[in-house]
Amino acid sequence: MTKPLSRRDFLKVGGVAAGSAAALGALKNVMSAKADAVIKTAAEEKVVASTCHLCSAGCGILVRVADGKAVKLEGNPMHPVNQGALCPKGQAAPELLYNPDRLTSPMKRDRATGQLTQIQWAEAIQLTADKLNALREAGHPEQAVLMHGDTRGQMRSFLTRFMEAVGSPNVVSHESLNIAAAKLGMYLTQGIYGLPAYDLENANYVISFGANLLEAGPNPQRTISGYTFLRRGRATRGKVVVVDPRQSITASKADEWIPIIPGTDAALALGMANVIIKSGLVDADFVKNYCFGFDNFASDGERKGFRDFVLENYDPIRVEQMTGIPSTTIARLAGEFAGNGPAIAIMPGKGGLLNGGFSGVYTAMAVHMLNALVGSIESTGGVMTQRYMPCVDYPRLPSDSVAAKGMKTIRIDGAGSKFPLGRNSYQSVADQILEGASVEALFLYDANPAFETPGGKRFADAFKKVPFVVSFSSFMDESAELADLILPEPTFLERWGDDHIEGLGYPGISLYQPVIEPLYDTMNTGDFFLKVAEAMGGTVAKAFAWKSYEEVLQFRLKDIGADWELLKELGVWFNPGYRFAKRGSQHWIENVVGAERLNAPRDGYFDLYSRELNCFLGEMKKDELAKLGISQSGDGAILPHYEPTVFQGDEAQYPFMLNIITLMSLGPRSDAANMPSLQEISGMTVRETWDSWLEMNPESARKLGLVENDRVKIESPFGAISSKVKLVAGLHPDVVNMPLNQGHTAVGRYAKGRGVNGLEILNPASEPLTGLAACTNTRANVSK
Amino acid sequence: MTDWCMVIDLEKCVACQGCSIACRMENNTPVVSPEEAKNGRAIRWNDVFPLPVHFGPDQGEYPNVKMHYSTRPCMHCKNAPCVKVCPVQATFVDEEGIVRQNYDRCIGCRFCTVACPYGVRYFNWSEPQWEETLAEYRNPDQLSVNGSLEGPAVRPVGVVEKCTYCVHRLEKARARAAAEGREFRADEYVPACVQTCTGKARFFGDLDDPDSTVSQLSKSLRATHLLEDSGAHPKTLYLAEG
Repeated sequence: MTKPLSRRDFLKVGGVAAGSAAALGALKNVMSAKADAVIKTAAEEKVVASTCHLCSAGCGILVRVADGKAVKLEGNPMHPVNQGALCPKGQAAPELLYNPDRLTSPMKRDRATGQLTQIQWAEAIQLTADKLNALREAGHPEQAVLMHGDTRGQMRSFLTRFMEAVGSPNVVSHESLNIAAAKLGMYLTQGIYGLPAYDLENANYVISFGANLLEAGPNPQRTISGYTFLRRGRATRGKVVVVDPRQSITASKADEWIPIIPGTDAALALGMANVIIKSGLVDADFVKNYCFGFDNFASDGERKGFRDFVLENYDPIRVEQMTGIPSTTIARLAGEFAGNGPAIAIMPGKGGLLNGGFSGVYTAMAVHMLNALVGSIESTGGVMTQRYMPCVDYPRLPSDSVAAKGMKTIRIDGAGSKFPLGRNSYQSVADQILEGASVEALFLYDANPAFETPGGKRFADAFKKVPFVVSFSSFMDESAELADLILPEPTFLERWGDDHIEGLGYPGISLYQPVIEPLYDTMNTGDFFLKVAEAMGGTVAKAFAWKSYEEVLQFRLKDIGADWELLKELGVWFNPGYRFAKRGSQHWIENVVGAERLNAPRDGYFDLYSRELNCFLGEMKKDELAKLGISQSGDGAILPHYEPTVFQGDEAQYPFMLNIITLMSLGPRSDAANMPSLQEISGMTVRETWDSWLEMNPESARKLGLVENDRVKIESPFGAISSKVKLVAGLHPDVVNMPLNQGHTAVGRYAKGRGVNGLEILNPASEPLTGLAACTNTRANVSK
Repeated sequence: MTDWCMVIDLEKCVACQGCSIACRMENNTPVVSPEEAKNGRAIRWNDVFPLPVHFGPDQGEYPNVKMHYSTRPCMHCKNAPCVKVCPVQATFVDEEGIVRQNYDRCIGCRFCTVACPYGVRYFNWSEPQWEETLAEYRNPDQLSVNGSLEGPAVRPVGVVEKCTYCVHRLEKARARAAAEGREFRADEYVPACVQTCTGKARFFGDLDDPDSTVSQLSKSLRATHLLEDSGAHPKTLYLAEG
């Protein structure tokens, strides 16, 4: 007898039926991956090896060229910096190449009307040659000035040689905006003017002082490779500590984030040094035999050494008050650092809070000295000294009295004179011009000073006083808008060039080559200057006998160990394996410690008491030092110390410290802001897109009655801008941040009008000793 | 049977977003207008984002805060909710475990975008556009299966699109092996995001092969799935931080 179906049974059966129907449906939905799949690619495919130029890392790229179009970039697995990887900027590079806002031909601007007219290259060459010849005939070739951005390969020496042949010492790098503080810190201690390389792969303990290793350091891809290997690529995992007032991506990925009161990193480093010395954890051999100034010494009377200075002044209890970091944490960090070697302390490069101002240099010195105390200089898992590929020397410049006279003049940017310790003072070029320095011709290579310097708008006034401004930008950026001649360079995917590989210690060359024919009527600036030299005739023409910039590269790179064809095929050539110099050896003295000191002895001693700095400050009295913003005197001014930041703006009126952060996505270059995909992803950390923002601690915002996305006025003593608030829990309550490379008023349709440029309201001053942009001491007020 | 799978080590991921853009360039996902992007309509098959997604007091107070970032391609679920709800069988799991989309069949009902627990199915709200010369760099690869275009072929307005584990790359690698007259090996192909990963955080391979890297990593104590309780049996694996 069949039982009637209960409601529950009915549902069961229904369920089975429905289930099997779904299963059948699913079965029908399974299709073979292979069945009738037809894959078609372009008719003509090739891969060209080259180098990315969208930040200072210079990663190797393999470009897929399909039917003559560059459609995709991949990292070059042969390249030691990126090892096959590529960041979003590199991936988006075709958006730069095929950008609809690129400049397509040379142009001349009529100053009176602002009207642009298209011209021929021949005219541009003749105009430039005539201008430079006129300056030489007038006996003032030094009135030609060249400002440049990231120029790491032969282009830098090529441009310098051109200006030398003309007779101008005025080649000004943008490094005073970013990495020069760290370079000076290295120079004043280790005696090498350059960024060190870090052996992250073999390090056991890494402490970064405000260096955004994973986002915006001088070489982000190199530090990412090293970092991930240290964390998860090898059997034992290293520890990473990040000191930063803001929980950057780097800090959030680290084992430990040490939030610190902004600008007090030097105190922390010296507090750690105090504990390391007190606990007897110093590398005694290194400190005793290869360092100068650890102990007190006699020279014109008793001088204080590093040890006594640090022991007297930087007890962790005192450092706790300066930095806001508990003394127990400071002691623990010191113990971990000195006891778990190999250990590295990383100086802030780009993106840190410490750039600019001489206190920034003291900080870099103090941090680098931590490496010396534990013997991590030139040792496995420690700090390496960057080596470079030997390049064939240029032929001697023909003797030329006009050029010789010009070369003897003081530099326009005041480096070496007004700023005795400075090598370049990019942002101060505008100030010098406005103060009456006469500049007759100004070349802007890879440079957009009107946008990228604090208070950059003053460059507009400065340019008005220069009768001949030439921009080589591929885009009509803020500076090109003010130029008389706009001579677009092809993008990096269409031109010859090279980079010295940096960040790994060992030497290497990375080649740029045209992966496709240039799209427009553009010219490599190297070729342009060769043609100008030819048109100028005389000694300048003689100094430049090459037919093309490609030939210059072939000439310079003849001895690197790879012939030209092989280099073109691989895109990169390097001598792998870093050979550490033995302490005190010839190699050590010639390459590692002290080799580039200009005044102090090049004796292979690492200076804990900077003899080089003593040459500049040693004679100064307390009031002179105070004018330079140095509160200590005597030995205290020479030894690295914590210098309280002298803020611009009164704390009561301007309660926040304003900081500009560099993003992984948009990076430092103006043209990247006009790449739509990068705009789209730019505000990932704060859920924003295509706009700028102001990062603020939620508690600080609550006190002001602000909620996320409120529009606020951000006011500093230097101006006011408006943006929207984003709440960032991992941010010091007294700090506000804005992203770099937004708020363009030019460049192109994607960059223009996207939020505001925070640099506009930063302190435009230059630090008096070094000419660094002293912008990180700006206070701001935030109101609705 | 080959079972393609991706493993993402969140400890090595540095939230650089290289994968997002590599995916865009490889698969021709369009840039939408800034207004659309602000409305959450950006099309990035592989996105990177902060966690928790919604900001709130649960993130802690300075300085006791720990931000996290994650990255998210399609999970290529074994029990894919998107497949179940599709009324026209436009989306399907192929025999090698890739959840694919037939753009010809898609009627744009967006059931799947709602059903997907991971939000990785993207609707073309407007005609995809590459302004002027930008169209030049589009990936010319064309994968047609039973006469329908898949892979990087530009999708029309009104259809849903998604991560395909770069299935056209797979077919290219297969075609290459066939042209060279040899057997195709599973390590001959990776999706674009895996190839570009700056932190070398991504791994890809055959989960069915016990010796493959992904199989080995799937046994890690750190191995986990996103929203494991969703019932979708997600396949893409994460290695947790820690």
